[in-house]
Amino acid sequence: MAGQRRNEIGRAVPLLAPAYLWLTVAIFLPLSAMIFFSFMTGLPNTGKPWSFTLQNYAAFFQEDIYWRLLLSSLRLAAEVTFWCLIIGFPAAYALAKLLKGRMREAIFLLIILPFWSNGLVRIFSWAMVLREGGLLDTTLNAILPFKISIDLMYSYPAIVIGLVHSYVPYMVLTCYLTLQAIDDSLIEAARSLGASRWQTLRRIIVPLALPGVIAGAALIFVPVVGSFMEPRILGGRTGTFYGTVIEDQFVAVFNWPLGAALSFILLAVVLVVLALASPVLRRATS
Amino acid sequence: MNRLRLIFAASTILASAFGAHAADLHVLNWKGYGADEPWAVEAFEKATGNKVINDFFNSEQEMLTKIRTNPGLYDVVMINAAFNDQATAENLIQPIDTSKIANYGDISAEKAQSPMLVKDGKVYGVPWVWGLTALAINDKSFDTPPTSINVMWDVKHKGRVVIRDDAVEAIQFGAIATGQNINDIKDLDTVKAKLTSLMPQIKTFWSAENDFNQLIASNQIDVGTYWSGSADRAKTQFKLPVSLVIPQEGAVAWLDAWSIPVGAKNVAGAEAFINFMIEPSFYTEWVTKVGAPVSANTKAVAALPEDSFNRKVMGDPEVAKRIQFQAPITDAQREAYLKAWQELKVNVK
Amino acid sequence: MTRLLEWLGRGFLGLLLAFLYLPLVIMGVMSFNRSPFYQLPIDWSTTWYSQLFANAQLMSATWNSVTIAVTTTIIATALGTAASIALFRNEFPGKRILQVLLFPPIAIPWLITGTAMLVFFFWVGIGRGPHAILLGHVALALPYVIVVVSARLQTFDPQLEEAARSLGANQWQVTRRITLPWIMPGVIAGALFAFAVSFDQFVVSYFLATPGQATLPVEIYAAIRKGFTPEINAVSTIIVVISMALMLLTARFFSFGGER
Repeated sequence: MAGQRRNEIGRAVPLLAPAYLWLTVAIFLPLSAMIFFSFMTGLPNTGKPWSFTLQNYAAFFQEDIYWRLLLSSLRLAAEVTFWCLIIGFPAAYALAKLLKGRMREAIFLLIILPFWSNGLVRIFSWAMVLREGGLLDTTLNAILPFKISIDLMYSYPAIVIGLVHSYVPYMVLTCYLTLQAIDDSLIEAARSLGASRWQTLRRIIVPLALPGVIAGAALIFVPVVGSFMEPRILGGRTGTFYGTVIEDQFVAVFNWPLGAALSFILLAVVLVVLALASPVLRRATS
Repeated sequence: MNRLRLIFAASTILASAFGAHAADLHVLNWKGYGADEPWAVEAFEKATGNKVINDFFNSEQEMLTKIRTNPGLYDVVMINAAFNDQATAENLIQPIDTSKIANYGDISAEKAQSPMLVKDGKVYGVPWVWGLTALAINDKSFDTPPTSINVMWDVKHKGRVVIRDDAVEAIQFGAIATGQNINDIKDLDTVKAKLTSLMPQIKTFWSAENDFNQLIASNQIDVGTYWSGSADRAKTQFKLPVSLVIPQEGAVAWLDAWSIPVGAKNVAGAEAFINFMIEPSFYTEWVTKVGAPVSANTKAVAALPEDSFNRKVMGDPEVAKRIQFQAPITDAQREAYLKAWQELKVNVK
Repeated sequence: MTRLLEWLGRGFLGLLLAFLYLPLVIMGVMSFNRSPFYQLPIDWSTTWYSQLFANAQLMSATWNSVTIAVTTTIIATALGTAASIALFRNEFPGKRILQVLLFPPIAIPWLITGTAMLVFFFWVGIGRGPHAILLGHVALALPYVIVVVSARLQTFDPQLEEAARSLGANQWQVTRRITLPWIMPGVIAGALFAFAVSFDQFVVSYFLATPGQATLPVEIYAAIRKGFTPEINAVSTIIVVISMALMLLTARFFSFGGER
C-alpha cells in the first residue's frame, strides 16, 4: 500500500511541479516577501541603508485616516454586495425557474458577455452616462415634461453604480448555478402541501440557494474592498478610498514599505471575511 | 562665410546620414504640454534623426517615482524647478553641458541662473517656460470676471468649483487665500481651515488638463484653479469658453525646466531636444496653434505679437508684483502638506 | 398568477440587460462622435478610428495585450491541465493542501497580489516589463484552468482508463486517446478563462508594466487619467465586438446555460 502511495506521488510530481512552481514564484513568494517588506524602513536595493521597524503598522493604528478609509472601503463593498444581491438573485431566479430552452441560454449568455469587455472602459463609459448634460440627463429631459437635473457623476452613488454594473454578473452566475440545481418537484411538493409562494421561497428556495449567494457575495466583496480605479474615475472628491491610498504609495509617494503594510492589513481583513463565509460554503458542498 | 555654409551643409548631411539609424529619445512630460505635439515631434525628428517616444505623468510625485523605478529609461524629463532640488539630492538627474545647447544663451539670466537649477556651478535644469496657477472661469457663468480668489468660496457657485488633486498646489493655493507667503507658511492650521471650508463647494478634483476641459465643455463648473498655459490652450486649441483670472490676492508662479536623468542613453538627443524646445520658432508656433505658458527664452517671447496674453498680461509689472514663485520645499514640509491634504480629502466623505 | 410572474421575470431580466449594455452602447456611439469632449448632439465621424490606426503607442499596446494573452493561455492551459490530471488520478498526502492553495490567487484582491509581485520582482531582480506581466498573468490564470478542468474530470470514469490499459495501451496512449478527448470541453473552457483573465487584466499589469511596454488596459487607464482621447472608445468598441463574436461562436459549440 505504502509502495503504491509512493508510486502515485512519483507519477504526480512531474505533472504537478510546473504549475505549483509557477504559483510559488509568482504568488506565494511575493506575498511572503511583502510581509517581510512591510517591516522595513526602505527598499533594500536602492543603495540606501534600511532597517526593520514597526513604524508602518504603527502609522495605521496611530493615524485615524487609514482605518477610517478602510472602514469606508468595507462599507462600500457591503453596499455594492447588497445591491448585487437585490438585483442578481431575482434575475437568477427568473432565469433558472421562469425561462426555458434557447431563450434561457441566450439571456444567460448575454448577461455574462460584458465580462469579456474591458472593465476600465465600462467604468469610463458610465462617466459619459451619469454626468450633467450627459446621456441620462439629456434623455430624461427629452422624455419627461418637466425639467430635472441629473448629475450623479463624481459622487458616492456613481461609484456604487459603476461597481454594481461590473460585479452583478457574478451574483447572477453563482445564484443561477445553485437555483438551477433545485429540483422543481421539490417546489411543487411544497406548493401542493399548501405552502404559499412566500413560504416556499423562504423555507425551500432561499436555504438551498444560500451557498450560491454566499459564493457570489465573497466574489464581489473581496475585490471591491481593494478597488481603486473605479473610485478614482467616478468618485470625484468622494473618491478617496483605502485602495487609492495604497496605489498612491506605490506609483506616486514611493513609500513602498507603508504600501506593503497597508496591503497586508487589507489581506488580513479579506481572509477574515473569507473565513466567515467558508462554513456556509463547506456545509453546502459536503 | 562660405566655409561656414559648407560646414553647415556637411553637418546636415552627416546628421541625415546618422538619421538612418534613428536613435530613440524617451521624453517624460505632462500630456498635451508641447513636447508631444505631433507637428513638433515630426519637425524635431526630421531635423535630428531622433525618434521621440513620449511618456506622461500626472503629478510631480509620479514623475519622480517614474524616474526612480525606471533608471536609464528616460533621456529627457520636464521637471518643475521647485522639484529640481529633490531630484538632484536623490541623484536622479545629471549636470547638463549647456555649451551643447545653442539657444541657452537667450534664456533670461535671472531664470537660467536660478539657484533652484544651478548648484555648485553645475546646471541641472534648462528653463523652458513659466506660468501661473491661478483661477480659470467658465465664461458662460460670469457677466464680469471676478477679481478676488474668494469667488471659489462664493455659495453661488456651490458644487461648481474644482481644484487640482495635488497636496503642494492645494496648500500653496490656501496660503495665498489666507494672505501668506507660499514658500514660508507660518500658519498651516489657518490654511487647513480655509481649505476645509472650500471642500463643500467642490465638484471634483482634477488631475490632468483634459479633466478640466471636459468639465468646462459639459458646463459642469464655473470656476477652478488652473494653469495659465492650459487656460490658453483650452481657448486657442479647443475653443472652450475659458478665461484666466489672476486674483488680486495673488497667484502661484512656477518655472518648468528640462533635465537629463542619470543613466540617460541618448544624451546628445536630449540636448538637441532641449535646444529645440526653447527655440523661438517652436515657441511661436506652439502659442499660435495650441496655446502655451511664457517662454523663458527672451527672444521667443519677443517674437510674439505685442498684444498677446503672454506679453501683455504676463509681462505686466502690476501682475509681476502679485505673483509668488514656487521655491523648493523640504521633505518635512512635503510630508506635512501631504498629510494635511489627505486628511482634507478623507474628511469630505 | 404564474403567467404574471413569468412576465415580471422577463421584464426584470430585460431591465438588467439594459443596465448591463447601456454603457457599452454609449461607448460605441461616442466612438463615432467627433467632439473630443463627448458633447451632444453627436457629430458623426469615423475620425477616431483613423486616428487609432495611426496611434503607434496604442496599436503596440494592443499587440502586447494579444501576445501576452495568447502566451498566457497556452502556458496556463498546458500546466493547468497536467496538474488537474495528476490531482485526479493520484491519491497522496497533502493533495488537499495543494487544492486549497489554488484559492489565494483567485480570492486575494488583485491590488494585493499586484503590489506584492511588484515588490518581490523588483527585489530579486526579475524587474518589470512584459516578462513580469506574463509571469503574473499565468499565475492568475492557472487556478481557473485547474478548477474548470477538474470539474470536467469529475464526470470522467477512471475505469475507462483501466480498460484501455488492460488492452495494452501505455500511459501516454491512454492520456492522449481516452482522457484528453473526454476533458477537451473543459480544457477549452479553461483556455477561454485564461485568455479572458489575461486580456482584461488591469491591476497586476498596471504595477508590473514599464513605460512604453504596457498592455492595452494600462494604456487606457493612463489615457483616462492623463487626457482621454476617444481613440480609446474606438479601440474598445472593436475589441468588445470581436471578443463578443468569439464568445458567441464558442457558445454555439458548448452549452454554457447548462441544459437540463
